[in-house]
Amino acid sequence: MQARGAVSIPRAWPNWLPAFGFAALLGLALFGMELLEPFFRWVEPDARSVIYARASFVDLLGRHLLVVGAAGAVTVCLGLIAGIAVTRRYGRDFLPLAGQLASIGQTFPPVAVLALAVPALGFGTPAIIVALMLYGLLPILRNTLAGLDGVDPALKEAAIAMGMTPRQRLWRVELPLAAPVILAGVRTSITINIATAALGATVGASNLGDPIIAGIINANMAYVIQGALLIALLALTVDSLFDLLEQQLRHRPTD
Amino acid sequence: MIELNKVSKRFNEALAVNDISLRVEKGSFCALVGTSGCGKSTTLRMINRLIPHSDGEILIDGQPIEQLDPVKLRRRIGYVIQSTGLFPHWSVARNIALVPRLLKWPAEKIDARVEELMALLGLPFDEFVGKYPHQLSGGQAQRVGVARALAADPDILLMDEPFGALDPLTRDKLQEELARLQARLHKTVVFVTHDMDEALKLADHLVVMREGRIVQQGSPLTLLRHPADPFVESLLGGLERGLKQAGLTRVKEHMTSLGPQVPAHSRIPGDFTLRQGLSMMLRDHTERLTVVDASDVPIGELSLRRLIKESQSERGTPRAG
Repeated sequence: MQARGAVSIPRAWPNWLPAFGFAALLGLALFGMELLEPFFRWVEPDARSVIYARASFVDLLGRHLLVVGAAGAVTVCLGLIAGIAVTRRYGRDFLPLAGQLASIGQTFPPVAVLALAVPALGFGTPAIIVALMLYGLLPILRNTLAGLDGVDPALKEAAIAMGMTPRQRLWRVELPLAAPVILAGVRTSITINIATAALGATVGASNLGDPIIAGIINANMAYVIQGALLIALLALTVDSLFDLLEQQLRHRPTD
Repeated sequence: MIELNKVSKRFNEALAVNDISLRVEKGSFCALVGTSGCGKSTTLRMINRLIPHSDGEILIDGQPIEQLDPVKLRRRIGYVIQSTGLFPHWSVARNIALVPRLLKWPAEKIDARVEELMALLGLPFDEFVGKYPHQLSGGQAQRVGVARALAADPDILLMDEPFGALDPLTRDKLQEELARLQARLHKTVVFVTHDMDEALKLADHLVVMREGRIVQQGSPLTLLRHPADPFVESLLGGLERGLKQAGLTRVKEHMTSLGPQVPAHSRIPGDFTLRQGLSMMLRDHTERLTVVDASDVPIGELSLRRLIKESQSERGTPRAG
């Protein structure tokens, strides 16, 4: 057996620090945006107000997370189920098709999906959720396929030879071994969707995209910066949380 | 007992295994030997239904295997492969416990069994129980592989070049331990290897395969004495065949009682092989060795002249050289 993943790189800081740091900055931005008022005043000296105040940032963040979370939950389920199904013996025929469908989902610009979803679902949150689902499915499906495909064939055969049933092989061997790769896909999908969800503001789904859209309409750069800052910090926080989770997964093999 | 009757395996049009018949008695150690691609691994994998056979019948304890549930069948058969196939996300203990867990043994029984097997395979419990496969050396990993195969105490053990990836020293050590285990456990073993020395060392039934067919089968000594064709002879080492045969015989079996002569200076324990005896004669420039027992007391004498005369009478026709 070749040794792998056993090397631990000495770290200058504890591995939870990035997640903690970004979360703290996010909290600061949510509750203490006024502290930056002089800066925003400098950016927009002529504007009537320089701090977005039509809704509280906490409120917007909550709705933002709801949209991303709902779309994420559906995509993770769909991606996993589809990825597992097409790698089983009965679903092998659909493997190329599944890959192509997911690719098409990603090549569609989310704005176009939104434009198509609005007439069908009306303005508001459902339209953006559908757009995020289509957009976020590919990384999860692709990584599920790659993860399951990457399990050493000798191990799969050993699992058969030991007398494991197909279900036991999936749950006890294939999924645990594919988990880091699948999780990386989920991480990509969710992080991209945190940024993409801001588009929802254009179709009336209010979230952290609101200050950006309002800023563009009113030519108020300060609003745009506030929305972008919050979205960036949210994405960084979630991404570093996933990083933490991946490390846990790698260092503590399931037993 | 494992029986193969006129078994063939076709991959598309190609015949990987061609009409082979083979019988492995309960408790015997059968080695399938041959060059790469001769169908020996395919034969092995048909026994636990990793590959379905195309023709003929395979019986385990008299029952055709296609009538048995494949999952239950495989849990009754230990399986060891060259790449170990240990699950990297499980500890040594969890890997060994796999089949007993599948069979839903009670937890205490599984723990006791894991401890017993680790002792049997020479893996100190405290040191190895919590280790993961990537922390093991090749030899240690294969010990765990063998322990896993033996976990549910199966009657049958299938081994597919289990020691092929190990360095020569580790391989020798594990071969010796496998021989020791087999002498104690009496499993029905089918062992695939391309290493004839390994097969000669371990097996009591040798099956030589070539291009999907069985060329010759029988006891190691039978094959060494009467190879069926030049292929078997070359596998058996050609000119070194005599030495390989000597490697299978104990000095004790060929010694004569101590004569009136002065005992030879070089001593050899009676349990050593004839091959080691011959080597010692070459090293010490002598024609005679004194055979001693475990407590170094002389019990007989090994004479080169006598050995050559014996093998002449065995062959029937005297040969020069």
